[in-house]
Amino acid sequence: MTHVPLEDLESLALGELPEDRKAAVEAHAAGCAECSRELSWLRAEKALLARRPPLQTAHLWPAVAARLTHPRRRPRWAWRAAVAAAGAAAAAAVLLVVARPHPPAPIATQQTQTQTPVATRPPRQRPAIDPKTLAALDRAEADYRDAAKVLEDEYARLRPNLDGELARRWDETLTRARAQLGESRAVAADDVNVRMRVLDGYAGYLRSLREAVQQSEEANP
Amino acid sequence: MRVAPLPGEVLGARDRDSDEELLSRARTGDAEAFRVIFDREAPGVRRFLGDLLRDDAAADEGTQETFVRAHQRLGTLEQAGKLQGWLFGIARMVFFEQLRRKRRDGPPLATSEEPREIDRAPSPEAVLLSAESDRMLEGALADLSEDRRAALLMRIDHGLGYGEIAAAMGWTLQKVKNEIHRARLQLRASLAGYLQESAQ
Repeated sequence: MTHVPLEDLESLALGELPEDRKAAVEAHAAGCAECSRELSWLRAEKALLARRPPLQTAHLWPAVAARLTHPRRRPRWAWRAAVAAAGAAAAAAVLLVVARPHPPAPIATQQTQTQTPVATRPPRQRPAIDPKTLAALDRAEADYRDAAKVLEDEYARLRPNLDGELARRWDETLTRARAQLGESRAVAADDVNVRMRVLDGYAGYLRSLREAVQQSEEANP
Repeated sequence: MRVAPLPGEVLGARDRDSDEELLSRARTGDAEAFRVIFDREAPGVRRFLGDLLRDDAAADEGTQETFVRAHQRLGTLEQAGKLQGWLFGIARMVFFEQLRRKRRDGPPLATSEEPREIDRAPSPEAVLLSAESDRMLEGALADLSEDRRAALLMRIDHGLGYGEIAAAMGWTLQKVKNEIHRARLQLRASLAGYLQESAQ
C-alpha cells in the first residue's frame, strides 16, 4: 500500500493540514494500520506536551526591564569563552576532515577529455562528506556563529566608547567580512572544501570582531 | 527608550497589534511594545528553556537573558512572522552557553543515542492514559540529546515549521527532518520502556 507522506500525518496531528488535504489523509489513515498507528503516536506526543499546565512569566519582566534601562556589563570571560569554544570545535572538525580522506573526484579519461568540449564539460564531482565529518562541520559552524553573536553584541554595546572615525572603519571592516562570509556560505552545500573555507571565513570574522571589541574595551573610560 | 504609554493603551494592544506593528514600535524604543512581545512570547521561550535545561532557576535566567539579547538585536529581525523562531534561536544560544558552564562544573549530561525502532509495542493510548505519563514524558525527553530535544520541541510543542527550526538551529532542512525523526523514534522507545517499568 502507498502511504501518505509522514509530513502530512504530522501536519494533521498538529492541526496544520489544509482542509482540502485533511479529508484525504484521514481517509487513508482510517484504512491503513501503519499510518493510523503513526498518527496515533503523533497525536499522543502532541497531547502529552499540550496538557502540561501553562507557565507564568510575568514575574520575569522586571529584571528584563531593569537590564534594558541599565545594561550590565557582560563579563569578559563570556566572549572569550565563546571564542575559545568555537576555535576548539573548528579544530575538531579540521581533524576529522584530515583524518577521513574523501574519495577523489573521478579522473576523466583521455577519450572523454577529447570528446567533451570545454563549454559543455560536466561539473566536477564533489567529494562526499561522511556524516560524522558533516556533523562536526555543522557543530563548528554553529559554535562560530554563536561566538560571533556574542562578540557582535559586545561590540554593539562597547562601540560608543570608540572615536567616531575608528568606529566607522570597524563597521566597514566587519560589514565587508560579513558579506564575504555570506557569499561563501551561500554556495557551501555539502562540499567539504567549501565548508572548510566557510570556517576560515568565520575565523577571520571572529578575529576582526575580537580586535574591535578589545579596542572598544580599551577605549572604555 | 521611550517612557511607557498609558496602561489602557497597553491592555488593548495585546489583542490588537500585529507582530509587524509591535516590532516596528519596539525598534523605535517603545518599551511597552517590547513588553507586549515579552508577554506573548516569554511563556513559550521559558517552556523551551525549561525543557532543555531541566532547571527552573536556570530557565528563568535564560528567558530573561534571551529577551535582553533580543531587544539589543531587534534591528536584525527582518520578518515579523519569524519572531518566534528567531527568539528560539537566541534561546538556544543562551542554553548552550549555560550548558558549557554546567559541563565545566558538573557531571556529564545525556548523550545522543542512535534511536531504534520500538521492539516492544505499547499503544500511544496506553502512554496517554498512564497515571505516570507526565513523569514518563519528562524522563523520555531527558533521554534525548539537547539538540534533538530542542528540534523536536520546537516542532511539536511550539509549532515551528521545518524552515524556522533550520534557521534557529543552524542546520540544513534535511538535518532537521532527520533529527526530528530520530528524536521521535527515541522518544517512543523511551516511553515504551517507562510504560513497561510502571506496569511491573
